Amino acid sequence: MIGIVSYGAYIPKYRIKPSQIAKTWDKEVSEIEKSLGVFEKAVASYDEDAITLSIEAAERAILAGEIDPKKIGGITIGSESHPYAVKPSSTTVAEILGMGNDYLAVDLEFACKAGTAGIQLLSGLVSQGKTKLVLAIGSDVAQSKPADVLEYTAGSASAAFVLGKQNTIANLVDFTSYSSDTPDFWRRDTEKFPSHAGRFTGSPAYFTHVLGASEKLLKQTKYKPEDFDWAVFHMPNAKFPKQVAKKLGFTPKQLVPGFIVEKIGNPYSASSMVGLAATLDVAKNGQLIFMCSYGSGAGSDAFVFEVTPEIKAYQKRNLETVQKQIKNKAYIDYSLIAKNILTKYKI
Amino acid sequence: MSTPAQIWRDHKKLNSYLNKVGELIVWTKIFVAPTGFEHQTPYLVGIVDFGDQKMPLQIVDCSEEDLKVNQKVKIVIRKIGKAKAEDIIEYGLKAKPI
Amino acid sequence: MKIKVLGTGLTKFGELWNKDLLDLALEASIDAINDSRLTINKIDAVFVGNMIHSKLTNQDQLGALVASSLGIKGASFRIEGACASGGLAVHLAIQSLLSGTYKNVLVVGAEKMTDANVSDISSALMGAGSEAERKAGLTFPALYALMAKAHMAKYGTTRKHLALVSVKNHYHASMNEKAQFPFEVTMEKVLESPIISSPFTLFDASPISDGAGALVLSSESTGEGVFITGSAVATDTVDLSSRKSLLEIAATKEASQQALKQAGVEISDIKVAEVHDCFTIAEILAMEDLGFCKKGMGGEFVRKGYTRLGGKIPVNTSGGLKACGHPVAATGVKQIIEVTHQLQKRAGKRQVNGANIGLTHNVGGSGATVVVHILQT
Repeated sequence: MIGIVSYGAYIPKYRIKPSQIAKTWDKEVSEIEKSLGVFEKAVASYDEDAITLSIEAAERAILAGEIDPKKIGGITIGSESHPYAVKPSSTTVAEILGMGNDYLAVDLEFACKAGTAGIQLLSGLVSQGKTKLVLAIGSDVAQSKPADVLEYTAGSASAAFVLGKQNTIANLVDFTSYSSDTPDFWRRDTEKFPSHAGRFTGSPAYFTHVLGASEKLLKQTKYKPEDFDWAVFHMPNAKFPKQVAKKLGFTPKQLVPGFIVEKIGNPYSASSMVGLAATLDVAKNGQLIFMCSYGSGAGSDAFVFEVTPEIKAYQKRNLETVQKQIKNKAYIDYSLIAKNILTKYKI
Repeated sequence: MSTPAQIWRDHKKLNSYLNKVGELIVWTKIFVAPTGFEHQTPYLVGIVDFGDQKMPLQIVDCSEEDLKVNQKVKIVIRKIGKAKAEDIIEYGLKAKPI
Repeated sequence: MKIKVLGTGLTKFGELWNKDLLDLALEASIDAINDSRLTINKIDAVFVGNMIHSKLTNQDQLGALVASSLGIKGASFRIEGACASGGLAVHLAIQSLLSGTYKNVLVVGAEKMTDANVSDISSALMGAGSEAERKAGLTFPALYALMAKAHMAKYGTTRKHLALVSVKNHYHASMNEKAQFPFEVTMEKVLESPIISSPFTLFDASPISDGAGALVLSSESTGEGVFITGSAVATDTVDLSSRKSLLEIAATKEASQQALKQAGVEISDIKVAEVHDCFTIAEILAMEDLGFCKKGMGGEFVRKGYTRLGGKIPVNTSGGLKACGHPVAATGVKQIIEVTHQLQKRAGKRQVNGANIGLTHNVGGSGATVVVHILQT
């Protein structure tokens, strides 16, 4: 059975609190913290981008999984912040990881679900027997317009998953996807920052698609929410995933290990994937994990994973857990963000 | 900055340095930067001893006060300098305290 | 060897907006040729030292440019060895005379730096470093700052020791009308100036300058005059990290030992010296590496006043690179000129009494090339 062979996550060290951002724009911070539920978010440094973040996460997956990078036959990087409009991030990452030349590489974009789409697509290469190992990465240095409400949650992180048929630590029991043309959040190709449609991003967007994919998968697999030990949903803020979990019948307890948004914000394509990594960091043999991502525009990818006995040995080898990185932090003020904006947009 | 061909050759060398750990021998904080590094100031640069070789590297993700002589540092891949809007981005080696 | 210094010519060093490189090179050359009392047609070859002109202006073939502008039709060359370009030009000119190929030659060291912006100059100067150093975002102040930190950690050298070098060289420059900064500075001024690369402040560093120096050298070894009796070059790795030690510039030891041997003198015979103080630590290292004092004692050697005018061994009476200025390739030639004037008793208020043997020390980059000359009457 196809499943996760190894994984890695990377969360940049710097954190900024909403109060620092609000202070910069002379806004009231308590309202923001209440409505968004984000206490602090991860900020990438001026010399980091979706490519460097991908390398960090993928290298951790390769080391912990004791994988020969030359045996990886497919790589996808899902991101909203690919450094180039034309020139794949995935080949730069593959070269530096030492993957050689025998692989399929493709960059994906689908807002926050570009990374998980890669998992579904690459699993096909493995099941067809085209290659034994594939690497799906979600990586973002999230962009938001300065002074916009998105600035409080747009974070940076990456997660990488190696899939294969042998020595899996969690099997991919089933997956599905639910898509529609829904313009809730977008960025035109000449624009520096994304735009969003306010409250339209709620019910017709996030909730419709997460519910759509999740209900479909539950029906398909004949599982009920209470059958799962853990659940991970895309976390654009702290409220939406809790609300959708409740609607589906999952309990708050099931969300706990994967609930990273309060501490690192929303790293777009890496959100649900880092949540999944955090869950695997503490999962036990035989446990079932439900995951559903959401990408604006819009769509949701839902997955059921079953943890295998291999997880225990893997957890011993995996030194850079998500919690460890969440704790390894240094607070900054708005100056690094201002520097990043100047640097990236060549103002 | 470097041309596409130069960057292409240099990127091929990066894999062999991944995860290397060394000791920081000496460092300085630079306030006046050469072209392409102005956006970073102030930044830290030092000499790291990897046992088989010593290398000059930018030191990232820390402040000067955090550093001690013989501090253990690890190689990370980061962007080098600042590419012009139309140029290829150069990635290279830097060191992060562990 | 015995190479006669027939003539010297030196422009003012500083921000010389109205002059371009060729103006500076010609001004110094014509002064040197006039000083030599030779006619133009007696000059067999022209050796031009220059480091970054090509990068900044895209003008190459400086040898031919300077020579033909002077009406000289013989041989012409451009020599580059980073900040040692001037010293190297002198060394190669000497070799051409020793070989008998030429009899009278003109050496010019010239640099025009102030037209470019500071970042571009900083970048251009890093051509003297390695690719790895450039990718790490290193600058020359940073490279020497790393050496300073190592020295401070090992030998207890302090920021005050470094500052004293700057204070002394400014004092000397206050008596030199060709200097870029002909004024004194206090220790406080040096210590409290903006930091450029820890622990260096602006006043630990030599400035960006325009200027040129020229010499007419001859293989005629008879009669009275100032003679170059030792000329040696030594080489080390371009990359600072690859050196055996950060605490010394090994090529200085090598070159100086050879030059002293050629001249048949000891370091203790030297009465006046021009050393390469691109940064304050460099002068402290030079005191040790040349053998004026024991390893690690360079700071104290300066603090005790031995190298100030009137002291045991005055160093950098011109004001050094710090206060006289450092138009890169001009420095090596200027150093020869200053020592020549000292030996000719032409140094005015800066005169070192009884100076009859002098030494010049010119360094390329962080120590990859070192040229040492010995001059005697």
